[in-house]
Amino acid sequence: MSGDSLPLPLPLARFAADSCEATTLYRELRKPLLRYLLCLGLSADEAQDVVQDAFVSLHQHLAAGGPQENIRSWLFRVAHNGARNRQHSYDRRFGKALHPDFDSIADEATPEQAVLEKEKFRRLGKAILLLTESERGCLLLRAGGLRYREIAEVLGIPTSTVSETVDRTVKKLAEKCNV
Amino acid sequence: MCDFSVRLVAWMDRELPDNEAADVERHLRDCSECQGRVDAYEEVGRAFVGYWDAAMEVKTHRRLSPWLPLLSGAAVAAAVLFIVFQPGSVKQIPAPPLVAVASPAIVLETEPRPDKRVHRRHWIAPMKTPDANWALPEPAIQIAIPLEAMFPPGAVPEGITFIAEVSMAADGSVQGLRLQR
Repeated sequence: MSGDSLPLPLPLARFAADSCEATTLYRELRKPLLRYLLCLGLSADEAQDVVQDAFVSLHQHLAAGGPQENIRSWLFRVAHNGARNRQHSYDRRFGKALHPDFDSIADEATPEQAVLEKEKFRRLGKAILLLTESERGCLLLRAGGLRYREIAEVLGIPTSTVSETVDRTVKKLAEKCNV
Repeated sequence: MCDFSVRLVAWMDRELPDNEAADVERHLRDCSECQGRVDAYEEVGRAFVGYWDAAMEVKTHRRLSPWLPLLSGAAVAAAVLFIVFQPGSVKQIPAPPLVAVASPAIVLETEPRPDKRVHRRHWIAPMKTPDANWALPEPAIQIAIPLEAMFPPGAVPEGITFIAEVSMAADGSVQGLRLQR
């Protein structure tokens, strides 16, 4: 896993009272949450809404004296449930989300780099399409910095299953994409 | 599979105590299988995250793109308006010369105001400084005043008359008086 995806200690002691702590937490987890929700098939607007709702829920949770352990997995679980509630046509959205058009990216790169980058994304996109929903979720949560047991809490599956799923997914993608 | 695989996961999650973490790190230096696994985790994870970051960027770009031409046009128009109407950079329109204002056409269109001073100058010339060659351009009023009314009896020989030239101010006061035989 990449170094920046490893779990970091979260400063949560005074989250409800100190806006700086809240800002730190928001900056740390906002992008991984958005990425995960996008992977689940939400649009960019829906993902933003779900992330905002998740942090409002977190504030209410902590203000009400809720437990501060595993806040990272708590946030992902709330966001995961929020995404599920919004997905009235989940399968259709999921299929659409896995086919983003990368023609508009990498504009700042040289033409050769842009072509290689797009080709890499297309190859990776095809490989991701072959993954199961559980495999995609496990790998993205793992890449988002969650521990295996935290992923298990979010998805509601055993930790051993998470471990096996992540191993299997990594092998699949490494074989398909030569990464 | 290597016996360290379970501990390897815990090590990657930074959940091992220091002494066990050191064991795993020593093992990684000798076990190519575990090292390859860690490398694959890192590379696949990085590529996977990069893919979704790019997808997120594409979605955001696509959401904004229909508005970009309109927003760009509005920004350019606002910039042009700002430059044109910026107070410091306004190009001053040269004012028309005063001669044009006082052109005969304009003067003729307006009702000439009576200028008392001009009228009085025509009637009585202004007297600024005493002048030896001072003289009225024309006698306006002639008044006959008996000598007895001006001089004591016997002061003026008989048969002598004087002409008094009096200049009057606008308010009716006497500005000058000269006697001529």
